[in-house]
Amino acid sequence: MAENKKPTSILESLGEEIVRIVAPVSICMFMVVILVSILNSNSSSSYATVGSIATIAYNESSSDTSWDKFIGALLNSLVFVAVITLATFLMVLLFYLRCVKFLKYYMGFSAFVVLGFLGGEIALFLIEDFSIPIDCFTFLVALFNFAAVGVLAVFMSKMAILVTQGYLVLIGMLVAYWFTLLPEWTTWALLVALAVYDLAAVLLPVGPLRLLVELAISRDEDIPALVYEARPVVNHDSNPRDLVQRRMRVWRERNETSDNRPVAVPDSVSDGNVVSESNVDEIETSNSYPIPIISTAVRAEEGEVHPIRNAELLVPLIDNGGNVQPHGVAEASGSNENLMLEGIGLGSSGAIKLGLGDFIFYSVLVGRAAMYDYMTVYACYLAIVAGLGITLMLLAIYQKALPALPVSIALGIVFYFLTRLFLEVFVVQCSLNLLMF
Amino acid sequence: METSHNPNANTNSNPNTITSPIPVLWPTIDGSLGLSEEESVSYARRFYKFGFALLPFLWAVNCFYFWPVLRSRSFPRIRPSFQTVTLMLEFSRSITLEDTPFSRPFIIDIVGSAIGFGVSMAIISSWALTFSIGGERLFGPVWDKLVMYNLADKLGLTGWS
Repeated sequence: MAENKKPTSILESLGEEIVRIVAPVSICMFMVVILVSILNSNSSSSYATVGSIATIAYNESSSDTSWDKFIGALLNSLVFVAVITLATFLMVLLFYLRCVKFLKYYMGFSAFVVLGFLGGEIALFLIEDFSIPIDCFTFLVALFNFAAVGVLAVFMSKMAILVTQGYLVLIGMLVAYWFTLLPEWTTWALLVALAVYDLAAVLLPVGPLRLLVELAISRDEDIPALVYEARPVVNHDSNPRDLVQRRMRVWRERNETSDNRPVAVPDSVSDGNVVSESNVDEIETSNSYPIPIISTAVRAEEGEVHPIRNAELLVPLIDNGGNVQPHGVAEASGSNENLMLEGIGLGSSGAIKLGLGDFIFYSVLVGRAAMYDYMTVYACYLAIVAGLGITLMLLAIYQKALPALPVSIALGIVFYFLTRLFLEVFVVQCSLNLLMF
Repeated sequence: METSHNPNANTNSNPNTITSPIPVLWPTIDGSLGLSEEESVSYARRFYKFGFALLPFLWAVNCFYFWPVLRSRSFPRIRPSFQTVTLMLEFSRSITLEDTPFSRPFIIDIVGSAIGFGVSMAIISSWALTFSIGGERLFGPVWDKLVMYNLADKLGLTGWS
């Protein structure tokens, strides 16, 4: 058989991994922008707001002064962050008391609510806008199917990776659209507050997310959470071995080797999906298993060694009560407002994991930018992707879970305001005077 | 996908690296990241049974997930050939077969899911198309009561906050 596979370059392996995480983020943002453009161009006022926890302190109305709006927005965001902190601590407590099943079912229920009700609402908006002549029975059956399969795909059972990833992106899109319905100042204040909260919760030793992951690691258990995991890149240079035997093995070793010995673990397999959602925080860097592909390329030596994937830290995988049935799915955490743990990390197969909260807040930023003009959308999109790239680089350097929100949100907000205040005037004047360059 | 093209070639090619001759042909569309054959049996059956709860989409996902099984013919344990089936039948007459994972090939579940999905899609789409194309001419005033946007207005579903 053909033995001459050419060595994979760093561009293929590293670039492929980055693309596999940037692509779904981009798709989510794109769909939110489309939804915002379709649905908000018809609506009357931009203050058709959504009452929720996020507006409990102050509901913005167009007649207030700027100072009032500012203070109101600050209050709203503080309340929201406080609620999220409480909910996360509550989750830590429940996890500490080993009520994991309860958490899992609660997560499944909230995902069903998100997919069913939010999805239904948005579908109804679209139906009204386009006057689609669908009747209620078909609509209900379709909605029920959509929501039920979504819950199954994300929580309850293992399903095609494409289906699971698609549903995660859809959940992110629905929640992000709902958040863009908040009043404007509140949205911006909320984004800033959440970026700061994320930074604190993931990096400070007293942060709830960090506590959660420490608990999970110390108990070798799984955290219920909604996390998007990119499909691991197959390393073509590994020795093909027998997959079936190795697959079921569950690694329980703690990372005694807490530094990175660059010894590649040879040819063992891991389920890309089985990952323990040792999700956000802490040292969840993976044990890089090059996934053996049944290729005929057999190489005795290591071949391309990817820096991220070669970390020697073992992730404690799940084993729910000794049952080795792989749970492909991550259960979510928290209430509806607090569904996801933010953060970015590495899965057990070296694939990059990104919390769904990051998807949501990136899309909220871009959706808000879309409410102003498309120029800000482009600027914010590029800023967010750049921020994500920086975060991935930091992840490669530090080899521990990092908050993915702060860098991207900071860049996004800065570029939004710069574009809105300065660039727009410039570009509009250039276009009006037909000056191209 | 190399996996499905040369399953047997792999076992012959490099004897010094392959430790066991288990055919590495994956029944799921995810390939090596998906399920193994033993798990696939239980998953396929579970999806098939759950699909009866008015979930034709689940049947579609089932077919999609186990697409390699439907497509290729080289799953001897899952898709028994004629000889295997006759052997199994003779065997079962002599001994009572326990419910081993392969005593009932799970291709039945997948084909059943495909048929179920086809039938339910036919029903649903014919109803939906009749409704939308026929419109008021066909149904009369009932159409206005059934169509979704009027119903949403009446029930105030979109005035949510």
